[in-house]
Amino acid sequence: MTTQQVIQEMREKFGEGLRAAEEPAPGALYLTVDKELIRPASRHLQDKLDARFVISAGIDRLATEGCLSVTHIFSRDKAKQFVCLRADVSENGAEVEAITPDVVAAGWSEREIQDLVGVKAKGHPDPRRLVLPDDWPEGVHPLRKDFPYDANPEPVEGAEVKFKEAPEGTSTVVVGPFYPVLEEPAQLRLFVDGERVVGCDYRGFYNHRGIEKLGDSVLTYNQIPFVAERICGICGFIHSSCYCEAAEQAAGVQAPRRARYIRSIMLEVERIHSHLLWLGIAGHILGFDTVLMQAWRIREPIMWLCEKITGSRKSFGMNLVGGVRWDISPDIHPEILDCIGQIEKESLAVVDAVQGDTTLLVRLKGVGILPEEDARSVCVVGPTARGSNVDIDARVDHPYAAYDELQTRAITNDGCDNWARVVVRLEELFESIRLVREGLKTMPDGPLMVEFAEEIPAGRQGVCTVEAPRGEAIHYLITGENNRPDRWRVRAPTYQNLQALPLMIKDETIADVPITLGSMDPCFSCTERVETVDVRTGRQAMLSKEDLLRLSQEKSER
Amino acid sequence: MILSKLKEAIICLGAGRVTLPYPFAPHPPAEGFRGKVEVDSEKCIGCGGCANVCTPRCIVVTDPSQDTRVLEFFLERCTYCARCAEVCPEEAITVTEQFETATNDTQDMHIKAEVYMGSCQRCGRCFETSTALDKLMVTGFQGVPESGE
Ligand code: SF4
Ligand code: SF4
Repeated sequence: MTTQQVIQEMREKFGEGLRAAEEPAPGALYLTVDKELIRPASRHLQDKLDARFVISAGIDRLATEGCLSVTHIFSRDKAKQFVCLRADVSENGAEVEAITPDVVAAGWSEREIQDLVGVKAKGHPDPRRLVLPDDWPEGVHPLRKDFPYDANPEPVEGAEVKFKEAPEGTSTVVVGPFYPVLEEPAQLRLFVDGERVVGCDYRGFYNHRGIEKLGDSVLTYNQIPFVAERICGICGFIHSSCYCEAAEQAAGVQAPRRARYIRSIMLEVERIHSHLLWLGIAGHILGFDTVLMQAWRIREPIMWLCEKITGSRKSFGMNLVGGVRWDISPDIHPEILDCIGQIEKESLAVVDAVQGDTTLLVRLKGVGILPEEDARSVCVVGPTARGSNVDIDARVDHPYAAYDELQTRAITNDGCDNWARVVVRLEELFESIRLVREGLKTMPDGPLMVEFAEEIPAGRQGVCTVEAPRGEAIHYLITGENNRPDRWRVRAPTYQNLQALPLMIKDETIADVPITLGSMDPCFSCTERVETVDVRTGRQAMLSKEDLLRLSQEKSER
Repeated sequence: MILSKLKEAIICLGAGRVTLPYPFAPHPPAEGFRGKVEVDSEKCIGCGGCANVCTPRCIVVTDPSQDTRVLEFFLERCTYCARCAEVCPEEAITVTEQFETATNDTQDMHIKAEVYMGSCQRCGRCFETSTALDKLMVTGFQGVPESGE
């Protein structure tokens, strides 16, 4: 279905309610509807137009257009198109109908908008806070423009954490916020019947860094790539690439061909090291540290290679809006080819060895089941989706960088369990190696950076996705004044994947929870790139020794 | 099962010992590595370009008097992006390979560069370095007049 047909269909269905429709760049369709229509329009997109929910953005437009807006972003994968559905509300009646009852995957995003922009989602099945700490004052919304980026409101005394009620007949096992296995904080409350998990409640967002806020209040266009790169401690380059491509789209320019090839090659290099890192961690979670040691040993040379190419093993610092800063010169090609050749050989040996290892298989096969249907309704992404036979891959569906020429395929598996996700990642590792070889061979000559004729005008939009090792990352950008965006929205893959965790661990034993969580390769700091410092943790750190003593005494008296 | 354990054992034995003796033996980084930056106050013209691009804002420019401009680098916040060196028009900033910057004294990570400036005749504030002004004099700089056609 073409863009025109989509607009036509929406117009027939919603008539005057469809206020505006524009497609400033191919692959990004922006629709504006009356706020009453946001729920039926979202439902129609999902059910009739084959659109997969991606993320929502709340935007404070009070100063410019006198309204707050909610934009739900959908992807029509096979049509290679994003559909951004916007509805405006006034400041007093800041409320829209929740789409979550129809579009399950929007659960977290709508809660996030309630917290940060203050547009209520009416009829949301779980309207609790998601991002803001529990003692954050009511009615203070950090992503509003009148909220200074460094403000630190007084915490509310005696605020209570709202946890989900445990179902009748179950006990609650609390894991976290700090616990072994993953080095990032998150709290899982597992509701168990004996050893069997029947449900869970998730409380996260302990790691807020206020990155989106910094992007629209402090940083400038070309400073953001360096912050974006630090959204993730492993796959940072995907975020800076995604941001730059979104900004380039908004500015109406394209990075030169060679720069786009360099981005693709480095993205694949990043996938190689990330998947090897993950393989090691997965082994570690299962108590099989040989896999950890060997996978990381095999991975190390590629980190050194990154250092050689970019000057740093992790934060490459390579991307700017309009291109890349350094070339991959032909002198270093043989070394890259050697390095990935060696990795290919050694990874094959590891794969060959662990494949028949029954101790591993017992822990992975048939564990952490995520049926295809559920994977589709929760809109998981990356290997988590592809391991459940959902054939989406941003490189194929929304080609960016040089993937229009460097063609690849979505590697799927219909096992729907932890093992399927392992197999998908391993196959992807070898596919990435192939892509790096292909990219080096076909990379055209030319400049690395486009010249900007003028400043990026305000009010333009760009949306871009990059297939990270963990799934697609999305950056949505509205340009603004003062050489910085008006709004920069980031969604990391784990944000969507984590929402499927309750489904994946249902009916498993407690012992299988860590590896199931691990099988989606979660990255909490990515997920929680949003708002200001967690006041609650700040305060806890200031508890005196007497306080702690009193607390623990009270606790043991009961 | 046994076969697979054997294969795993072979991989481990084949790999042998890979741990490097660092820090007991030096381990220099690759060429082009971005380490701690250095500033040459002789070359600097006080344009502030570096401070403008520095994402973590660790370069602070102040004018303590009419003819001095001070550039302070608080490098404990540096993210080693080398943008300052990239934009500096005078190549006054160099990126070294120094990565062993752990210290008990944050002063070790502070750099202060004083630049002597000519002051503006009208407002009295720092205007341009004397070296740069001299350079303009020597080459007989003039504005290019608008062409009449
Ligand atoms: S290297 Fe980057 S972070 Fe460090 S001082 Fe220069 S611009 Fe700032
Ligand atoms: S170091 Fe370079 S960029 Fe910074 S003020 Fe001096 S001349 Fe300008």
